[in-house]
Amino acid sequence: MNMEPETEKKISGRIIAMISVALFLILFIIYYSAMMMMSPVKKYAEIRNEFGIDSTEKSREDNPVFSDSTYLRLLKEKAFLQSRMIMAETDSIYLTLNLGDSTAHLEISGVSVHKVKFSEMEASKIFIKGDENLILSLMSKPFTIANDWATIKKEPVMIKMAPKDTSEYKPDIMPDTSVTEPVNYILEMTDGTRIYICQQENEKSDDRKSRSQFDFQYRLREAKSSMRSIFRFKVPEYHLFIKIYLPRSDAKIIYRAIPKYGQVGLYRE
Amino acid sequence: MEDDVLKEDVTLPSENKEPEEDIFTPESLLKLIKSSYDRLRQNTKLFRLVQAIGIAASSLGLLLLTGYFILFIAPAVKELPGVRKSEITNNDELKKDPAYKKQISQLTKDIQRLSRKYNSFTSGQSYIVINTTENRFFLYRNKKLVREGFCSSGSYTMLQTEGDRKWIFKTPKGKYWIQGKITHPVWRRPDWAFVEEGLPIPPKEHPSRYEYGVLGDYAMSIGDGYLIHGTIYKRFLGMPVTHGCVRLADEDLEAIYNTLSIGSKVYIF
Repeated sequence: MNMEPETEKKISGRIIAMISVALFLILFIIYYSAMMMMSPVKKYAEIRNEFGIDSTEKSREDNPVFSDSTYLRLLKEKAFLQSRMIMAETDSIYLTLNLGDSTAHLEISGVSVHKVKFSEMEASKIFIKGDENLILSLMSKPFTIANDWATIKKEPVMIKMAPKDTSEYKPDIMPDTSVTEPVNYILEMTDGTRIYICQQENEKSDDRKSRSQFDFQYRLREAKSSMRSIFRFKVPEYHLFIKIYLPRSDAKIIYRAIPKYGQVGLYRE
Repeated sequence: MEDDVLKEDVTLPSENKEPEEDIFTPESLLKLIKSSYDRLRQNTKLFRLVQAIGIAASSLGLLLLTGYFILFIAPAVKELPGVRKSEITNNDELKKDPAYKKQISQLTKDIQRLSRKYNSFTSGQSYIVINTTENRFFLYRNKKLVREGFCSSGSYTMLQTEGDRKWIFKTPKGKYWIQGKITHPVWRRPDWAFVEEGLPIPPKEHPSRYEYGVLGDYAMSIGDGYLIHGTIYKRFLGMPVTHGCVRLADEDLEAIYNTLSIGSKVYIF
């Protein structure tokens, strides 16, 4: 009635294998977490090096004016204006995000053509709590969009084949404007900073489903990229981010208006 | 008969049944598990099946947990490391320092100068803003909104012929200006207007190319053949249906025509 020793061996082998896999996974999770936690630290150090913040800090210790609230506020205001001046020089459409008064503006050559207030915002700790001089350096020049992911098309082009003769011709019908597609997108800047724009409306199941799908796809892409780095024993890249929630119509207007490689100006108090 | 029943009732608890409280003791539970396990092991086929299901379920569970960790927990972990917040001071003593006062005054002057320059981009003269996503227009005079309403802009239709000729009907975006003003405009039908209806393309100056009364009473040219004009298809106002021009209702067109002059800015987004 008892099992054969060979089968017993097989079973214990399987159990050992399972325990080994579990152990491996636990070790991997620890390693993955450690690498992930290192990524913002590395990014922070990179930005500090890029903008030479360390040398400024030395002078900050010597000169208390560098940590004075009024001085810093004025410097940031000036930096933001300078950044907007650069963007206004072009005839292109650009976006400015004022995290202080929670407004997003679409501007063309210095003229605000569309303004929207956002109710909710999330951002990287570096953006919220980071060194004031670092924020100042980041804001002093416009960000340029390098890539984007969206749930809507930038240009909703419909292809129509020309009729061969008048018998094939059908006059255009009235477009259906009642269809509302969920609007969520990510604008990635050349320096890796990402601006997430999500629609505020989330009551309908279609909206929730679309946002979840978009978020899941984004997480998958990120995980893939992190894995690639981690398997090469490299710290994964960290992306500074700002996430804002806008009414659907405004989110759509901004996405459709801003050029593929457009510019974004940022201001944080 | 009654006696038998009584007998059974009396003898059962003491001889056959174990006291109820003993069932849930750890020892009895272990005993139960062990006996069930032994019984299961005796049935080799069933044991293997249960074992396979167990291994598969645990492997799947582990995989799902790892996936959940990678997709949802690790990105949150990334934001955990603390970022040292730079110290911001508000020292009253410093504010009395002449050097500090000079720096603040210089910065304030710079900001005022930049603000003036930036505000000068918005013309004090009349200009029009056209929102192609929502098909609305906004007319400004002396930096104040004086009229708004619906318009029609490009349909984003791409007309293709079998001979691989292509036209895309979209309204250009950016900064433009009024280059010409015409009353009682005549539409000179381009090639696509014939191709679209399946008609043969006539020679350049053929009378069939000229259509009267379809562009309304006024038209304003913004360059590259694009016009702001009236329409006979008023029910389409507020919809993206044009071949790239901007169509307006008669009253709006007249007001805009009378407000804008040659050189007035047209901002399209």
